[in-house]
Amino acid sequence: MRRHEDIKFADVNNDIVRSLVETGPRYYVTLAIAVLITIACFFFPWFYQLYYGIGAAGMNHPTVWGTYLASFIFWIGLSHSGTLLSCVLHITNSEWRKAMYRSAEAMTLFSLMVAAMMVMVHVGRPWFIHWALPYPNQMELWPNFRSPLMFDVMAITTYLTGSSIFIYMGSIPDFAAVRDRTTGWRHHMYVLLSLGWRGTDTEWHRLGWAYTFLAVLIIPLAVSVHSIVSWDFAMSIVPSLHQTIFAPYFVVGAIYSGTAGIVTVMFVLRKYMNFEHYITKVHFDNLGKLLLALSLIWTYINVVEVFTGWYSNDSAELESLRYKLFGFYAPLYWEMILFCAVAPLLLISKRFRTSFVPMLILSIAINIGMYTERFLIVGTSLSRQYLPDSWGVYVPSLVEISILVGSIAMFCTLFLIFVKIFPSVSIYEVKETLPAPDEGKTQWQEATH
Amino acid sequence: MARSNALGLFGGPKAALAAAGKLRGEGFESLDLISPIPLHGVEEVLGKKKSAIKRFTFFGAILGGLGGFTLAAGTAVLYLHPTGGRPIITFPPFLIITYEMTILLGILATVLGFLISARLPVFRERIYVPESAVDKFAVNVACDAEADFKRATEILREAGAEEVTEIAPGGGQ
Repeated sequence: MRRHEDIKFADVNNDIVRSLVETGPRYYVTLAIAVLITIACFFFPWFYQLYYGIGAAGMNHPTVWGTYLASFIFWIGLSHSGTLLSCVLHITNSEWRKAMYRSAEAMTLFSLMVAAMMVMVHVGRPWFIHWALPYPNQMELWPNFRSPLMFDVMAITTYLTGSSIFIYMGSIPDFAAVRDRTTGWRHHMYVLLSLGWRGTDTEWHRLGWAYTFLAVLIIPLAVSVHSIVSWDFAMSIVPSLHQTIFAPYFVVGAIYSGTAGIVTVMFVLRKYMNFEHYITKVHFDNLGKLLLALSLIWTYINVVEVFTGWYSNDSAELESLRYKLFGFYAPLYWEMILFCAVAPLLLISKRFRTSFVPMLILSIAINIGMYTERFLIVGTSLSRQYLPDSWGVYVPSLVEISILVGSIAMFCTLFLIFVKIFPSVSIYEVKETLPAPDEGKTQWQEATH
Repeated sequence: MARSNALGLFGGPKAALAAAGKLRGEGFESLDLISPIPLHGVEEVLGKKKSAIKRFTFFGAILGGLGGFTLAAGTAVLYLHPTGGRPIITFPPFLIITYEMTILLGILATVLGFLISARLPVFRERIYVPESAVDKFAVNVACDAEADFKRATEILREAGAEEVTEIAPGGGQ
């Protein structure tokens, strides 16, 4: 295997163009499976639900919010680390960001799209989704801008727009590099996408500024998006949801599950796209440290949440707390604690952080735990409200479980298409970490090798 | 002689920057450095660059903020829905819409500023060497007279250009 210091500028172009144009049968088989699962598990059950009505889902009184919304929060959360982390690391000039940020940002984009689909599924009558948009109409429809649901519409639209623009703008020089090396329809596509980029000093200067401004604008935006999602819950008066800590709780949880998602994606890219010499142990080590810090903050917030509920001494709060810790859903709660608070402590060991397979397993476990967290927030809180006559147990129906599986397949499909269109490792930024043809080692190489 | 361009191709950024500096020192004003990566130290050689992007971002954000608040407050006034004697235009929730719209228009204006100031997208042929997207660093200098062209070629060669080509006006090599 080549070492990082042996890579030349031309190798980067070759490797990344190869990842775009050389496609083996394994890729097509994986894509076909992902597409089939998406159709069979997402679209069929959804059409079934549209045909028979929302009753096909297990949501009913008292739990009218179920796994669809849990999935929505989960996907929004997963979207959080990509662009946010990329922006923060760009502003702090972190060299290790450069090999991995493109695919992390793609993860953001696609999980946002899947999240938007989950809303469509949840609302039951998606053909009225435009009613959520503020436009002048004769129906006396009143877009209630005091409602967190309207904040959501604005925040997610902005985040989706911002993330798409951010990933596209950072890719323009790479589209130009790929444009020169491709033929046929690909060439035409990259000619359009690269906008006529040449790489002059003026263009680089403008790109640098615009990219930095976008990063500065997107950081507070990303924080606001998940705070707003948390207010969908925290602004209700349901016991265990009506808490001020919800905004930071959701933001930390989102970045946590997103970072775990990046680890999973990096593992897959490294292994199946042959990016071993670009995505190295250094990346896993750094992501591992980040995960450890996030897991500690997440654990702290969970402890605070339980303590606040207990200390309130309010009977409804106490009951919902008891129900969460020891009730019907308690196994899920303790599974979440195990996966998200206890298991990540392994990351203290550097040996663990730099081992690829254990990191993959842990990252998937964290995301299972984080999905459980979202399910517990949405499902269990409504099961135990103030009056015992409105208590009930919610169990997701087959349609809901199938749509969850289908949404994962949909994400995979989008990502598989992405790796063949976008250079999934940034060509020019990886070159920046290499010594220029007439220079010695870069600082990054001296620090890491 | 009509205006033509001398294009020197270099193997590394240091030599290219040195050549650009020398050309600048000799009075060549219209210089372009075409490189596969953003070069550090361009500003010391070719002078400080200013871009209008920050103005776009600033005014876009302001416009977005005003627009966002107007949207929320305007909707509330148009579709009146009094709740318990509370004000129709309520600041805390409307500020969130303002905040989101500030960022949205800030982002869109930044993109517009980038496209305008980097003069993209382009619909006509311009001087370009595909090698400069891989590992070559090109210095492109516009010359008005034959003597200038000779002098520029000389400087580029002295600085270590691997290849110097003349490019006729219109961009084709």
